[in-house]
Amino acid sequence: MMRNDPIKHVFIWPAVLVVLAISIFPLIYSFTTSFLSYRLIPPIPPRVVWLGNYASLLQEPRFWNAIFTTTLIAFIAVGLQYVIGFGVALALNARVPGERLFRVALLLPMLLAPVAVALVARMIFNPTMGPLNQFLSEFGLVNLPFLTNGHWALACIIAVEVWQWTPFIILMMLAGLQTLPEDVYEAAELENASAWQQFWGITFPMLLPISAAVVFIRLIESYKIMDTVFVMTGGGPGVETETLTLFAYQEGFKKFNLGYTSALSFLFLIAITIIGVTYLALLRPHLEKRR
Amino acid sequence: MAHVEIENVSKAYGPYKIIEGLDLNVADEEFVVLVGPSGCGKTTTLRMVAGLETVTSGTIRIGSRDVTELRPGLRNCAMVFQNYALYPHMTVGENIGYGMKVRGESRASIDKAVKDVARVLDLEQYLDRRPKQLSGGQRQRVAIGRAIVRSPDVFLFDEPLSNLDAKLRIEMRTEIKALHRRLAKTIVYVTHDQVEAMTMADRVVVMNRGRIEQAADPITIYEKPANLFVAGFIGAPSMNFIHGEIAARDGALVFAEPSGTGLILPKSREAAYGAHVGKPVVLGVRPDHVLHQGGPAGTSIRMVVKDVEPLGPHTLVIGSVGAFPFTAQMPVGVAAEPDRPFELALDLRRTHLFDRASGQAIAAA
Repeated sequence: MMRNDPIKHVFIWPAVLVVLAISIFPLIYSFTTSFLSYRLIPPIPPRVVWLGNYASLLQEPRFWNAIFTTTLIAFIAVGLQYVIGFGVALALNARVPGERLFRVALLLPMLLAPVAVALVARMIFNPTMGPLNQFLSEFGLVNLPFLTNGHWALACIIAVEVWQWTPFIILMMLAGLQTLPEDVYEAAELENASAWQQFWGITFPMLLPISAAVVFIRLIESYKIMDTVFVMTGGGPGVETETLTLFAYQEGFKKFNLGYTSALSFLFLIAITIIGVTYLALLRPHLEKRR
Repeated sequence: MAHVEIENVSKAYGPYKIIEGLDLNVADEEFVVLVGPSGCGKTTTLRMVAGLETVTSGTIRIGSRDVTELRPGLRNCAMVFQNYALYPHMTVGENIGYGMKVRGESRASIDKAVKDVARVLDLEQYLDRRPKQLSGGQRQRVAIGRAIVRSPDVFLFDEPLSNLDAKLRIEMRTEIKALHRRLAKTIVYVTHDQVEAMTMADRVVVMNRGRIEQAADPITIYEKPANLFVAGFIGAPSMNFIHGEIAARDGALVFAEPSGTGLILPKSREAAYGAHVGKPVVLGVRPDHVLHQGGPAGTSIRMVVKDVEPLGPHTLVIGSVGAFPFTAQMPVGVAAEPDRPFELALDLRRTHLFDRASGQAIAAA
């Protein structure tokens, strides 16, 4: 087939139309909606408000609170996931007895549905009836307000996120570790480099590209956290654990305020884009060195 | 003084014994090459000296120190790996200086040492490049540079040239030899390439199945192989072997091959061969110790030609003598044709006899 054979259109256009229909069209529709005052309940005809939805969102303290909460959860959870996940991957990469069993067991949480995990977590952390407080009371500790105090609730959500998603980091870092050449470590061994020096001098820099990708994926995913928070705290107490997606849900599906929710979604997209671009810009010099 | 003593060293992986009771002394400043087929234990031996493999039993000494139980970093050996083992994320300069950095030496002394080494190895213009941006030969030089910079007691080379093309290999061979002369350090070098072994070594150690078959200077190894294995392994094309026995005929010792031809053995060797009369032996003839026809009586054999390979400087005539494969190295344009008999005269003073049962050479004075 020649490069300028018209048959190429037969192959290209269906794909372009499918992409337009399933990806671009909803985006454009949602984008236009964000400039409307569009409520389903009570059903009021849509009215163009231009940037009105954006303006009122940016003046809404609840929006800023949601941004802050989501960022807090995402950064702390992903940070912990990375440190713990990398550590566990290093341990699993060493040939220890029973390593295969550990490998499977440690990867299991990732395979569970987040809603199920959150339900179990809600039971465990239940301040009055949960087994955790019961266990702690055995040591004479008072009942802790796991899900009823804002700080404790955030910590619980982060703990569940870390528990569920660290396996993903383990999986990726372990795959990365297994691609590292052995003779490089032998060369370092001959140079009398300690385990710590080998980690900082060889392992960490050689795995930086994969680390960057893994953290990026987890960060973006964490910003979209919904089910865990929805089930565990419902955003409460008050709005202390309300994340961006939960806020969007409340606006979209409780108040059916579609224009406002669309604007919120786009602000969310802008926020994630800013975070992503900054993250990559910060890492780029280090990653380019390794090309 | 950094001689290496390997004393009664064995290595086993579970029930599999790789090396058994190996003894080898490498003198200070000596260039020793361990050569042998794949799986003969040469690399394992080298790695045991480096400390990258533990020793099942026995002792390894470097200089006056018993290093058997020491970890690799404390043995003061530098190793050049087959796949270079360069740190891919570091520049050439950082690669060379990594060891010094790890030991906490000052930035200035690292820079100076790296520059000195780069000058010696002609790497100055590549110091800021990464290994990926270098050719195979340059990478190997970086690996050697990394070894030199720490000024070790012993250099260990693990098949360092096997990933290079033929031309580069010859160049690097010369460079490594020149380096040895300049640095005057002990080198233990592993290769499966007998040409490398012969051209570089002060002493060649031929290994097979975890044992040393012979350790001697290259010429001795070539001219006086200790046994059938060494005779067959060293030399390309390899030595021809014809089975037969020693017989006494008409007051002289002859090598009688199964077809009945008797090759008159030199008088000077009769004393050594006398004890083997009537015993099965193997006659070893190097392809280049054969003349085309015209030899005196009792030195000729007939081969049936299977193929003729013109190589440029000479021609290989390949075929068989009786049931035994035989290759003869002949001058260009020799009149040999496939499926035709071809008369050969042997230079019997340069042939070898081996006891067929033990495989050992029947020593000729």
